[in-house]
Amino acid sequence: MAPVLPLVLPLQPRIRLAQGLWLLSWLLALAGGLTLLCSGHLLVQLWHLSTFLSPSCPFAALPQVALAAGTMALGTGLVGAGASRASLDAAQYPPWRKVLGPLLVAGTAAGGGLLVFALGLTLALPGSLDTGLEEGLGTALAHYKDTEVPGHCHAKRLLDELQLRHHCCGRHGYKDWFGVQWVSSRYLDPSDQDVVDRIQSNVEGLYLIDGVPFSCCNPHSPRPCLQSRLSDPHAHPLFDPRQPNLNLWTQGCHAALLGHLQSLASTLGSTLTVTFMLQILVLLGLRYLQTALEGLGGVIDGEGEAQGYLFPSGLKDMLKTAWLQAGVAHRPAPEEAPAEEAPPKEGLPEA
Amino acid sequence: MALLKVKFDQKKRVKLAQGLWLMNWLSVLAGIVIFSLGLFLKIELRKRSDVMNNSESHFVPNSLIVMGVLSCVFNSLAGKICYDALDPAKYAKWKPWLKPYLAVCVLFNIALFLVTLCCFLMRGSLESTLAHGLKNGMKYYRDTDTPGRCFMKKTIDMLQIEFRCCGNNGFRDWFEIQWISNRYLDFSSKEVKDRIKSNVDGRYLVDGVPFSCCNPSSPRPCIQYQLTNNSAHYSYDHQTEELNLWVNGCRAALLSYYSSLMNSMGAVTLLVWLFEVTITIGLRYLHTALEGVSNPEDPECESEGWLLEKSVSETWKAFLESLKKLGKSNQVEAEGADAGQAPEAG
Repeated sequence: MAPVLPLVLPLQPRIRLAQGLWLLSWLLALAGGLTLLCSGHLLVQLWHLSTFLSPSCPFAALPQVALAAGTMALGTGLVGAGASRASLDAAQYPPWRKVLGPLLVAGTAAGGGLLVFALGLTLALPGSLDTGLEEGLGTALAHYKDTEVPGHCHAKRLLDELQLRHHCCGRHGYKDWFGVQWVSSRYLDPSDQDVVDRIQSNVEGLYLIDGVPFSCCNPHSPRPCLQSRLSDPHAHPLFDPRQPNLNLWTQGCHAALLGHLQSLASTLGSTLTVTFMLQILVLLGLRYLQTALEGLGGVIDGEGEAQGYLFPSGLKDMLKTAWLQAGVAHRPAPEEAPAEEAPPKEGLPEA
Repeated sequence: MALLKVKFDQKKRVKLAQGLWLMNWLSVLAGIVIFSLGLFLKIELRKRSDVMNNSESHFVPNSLIVMGVLSCVFNSLAGKICYDALDPAKYAKWKPWLKPYLAVCVLFNIALFLVTLCCFLMRGSLESTLAHGLKNGMKYYRDTDTPGRCFMKKTIDMLQIEFRCCGNNGFRDWFEIQWISNRYLDFSSKEVKDRIKSNVDGRYLVDGVPFSCCNPSSPRPCIQYQLTNNSAHYSYDHQTEELNLWVNGCRAALLSYYSSLMNSMGAVTLLVWLFEVTITIGLRYLHTALEGVSNPEDPECESEGWLLEKSVSETWKAFLESLKKLGKSNQVEAEGADAGQAPEAG
């Protein structure tokens, strides 16, 4: 029954291990806190952009899982710092002896599992943003004019603020606005011939114009913003509709939001990776420290050389012992009692 | 009659020194906070210096920065003194410096209080700077071809979008200036020619505003041109329309922003000033208590600490006397020199 990956740990290396572990644990706590902040920030951004993401988009699961993983990492870091500090002080270590084993199992299973899951989500989920944004922005564009319809009355304000803040126009470009009625019918003069012509010119009876809302305007343009009659080359002096690149924002909001959210997700991914690596190191170090101190019987300052290991025996042997122990526990109790009494009686005459 | 006498035994002195040491290091942190507040305010003023004619006064942020640095220096020195105060050997080398150091601390506290007052009172100068700067900024809005002013349009547009304001006092300020560059006017059009002829300076004035004045909360698409002509737009009354454009003027918006910034900085500086005054008083008590240790060989003995050796009026009289004596001693020396020269001559 050879221990898995044994490491001989005399007193000095044990102390060094405990001190290094203390530092790593605080770094892990810091990384866990950073992950918490990043995922919190992403959650807030998603909440602000909830109108432009379709409800069926699973992207929101990523910051939630990352939040849980960050909390576990923070907890593991604090536990590690406490345990390594206690292992240097003989008076403080005994209470830690009992809890360290279960804590290590919990840390590896829950913490490690959550981190791996979160990392997997970081790689898989950003792909679903595409369809989510496509649907969400399409709905927002269609409801821009519905400022008096309950449930959609904020679409205009939110879309205007989005275009102003992210410097974008329309879904993929400014021409998306030409295909949508964005002027509310309430402000259309029914007696105006131009309005009637436009409404009758298409099947759905929409008032379509070759103009864009004011929020598409680019302040960097040298001339006052041109919003209407954008396809007509003679409507504005010195304006060439084939080159409107400075007048309006050229980027579509789909690309702008996608880039924004993907960069936030990749930042979160890198903090999760760093936290994961630190967590592995801390858990390994704690396990070695725990087993080395167990070998000495919990005596901190023992000068003897103790062996630290990951598992007391190989995987097969461990499963066998676990199975046997489970079997022993199920046998009826009275048979055990005489068996237990016999060996102590034999032991006493010897002593 | 000493002012506010307090008896100190050995334990109390040690506690006072330790407490003061901690407070001094906390005060160093507070000094760093004040330094960063001053730096932040300086950066914010620099960001918008275009609309302030580049003539805004940087007195408040500069003084906050200087006070922050001085506070760090003085308080770390005081921390070192308090640390050494518990060891008579080390304290002996600080003894002669303590009285002038306390005088410097009192001056520093007075200066800090004045800076706090300035934080609350600088509003007026900022208002006039903003009024002039915004007026000029709007005048140069159309000069996107003139080097040195080509960025003004972008600056004003971004300002109006970010601070949710329009014009200097309101959107009507835009009616009085030509904000459309001549380069984009069609001079063959009759309408343009009429407008240019209609005023003395030959400017193209419109009752319209730039797009950055538009309010996204309006239920209808933004109306920017022909704002005073009700018949130009369907179902529009310019007297009652409130949501179409931003109602605030940019001067008021910027002023309230900077006022709230400086008020909160003033509040923080006031708290730090109170903290510093407490530290100075504590240091004075420690100084007088250690001076009062009558027998240097017996550190366990009791001593008394006070703020001023005599009452306030007596101390003030003694201070004036010492000033007069300083003046008189100069006179006596001069007379003595003359008397000395006269017998020699005689």
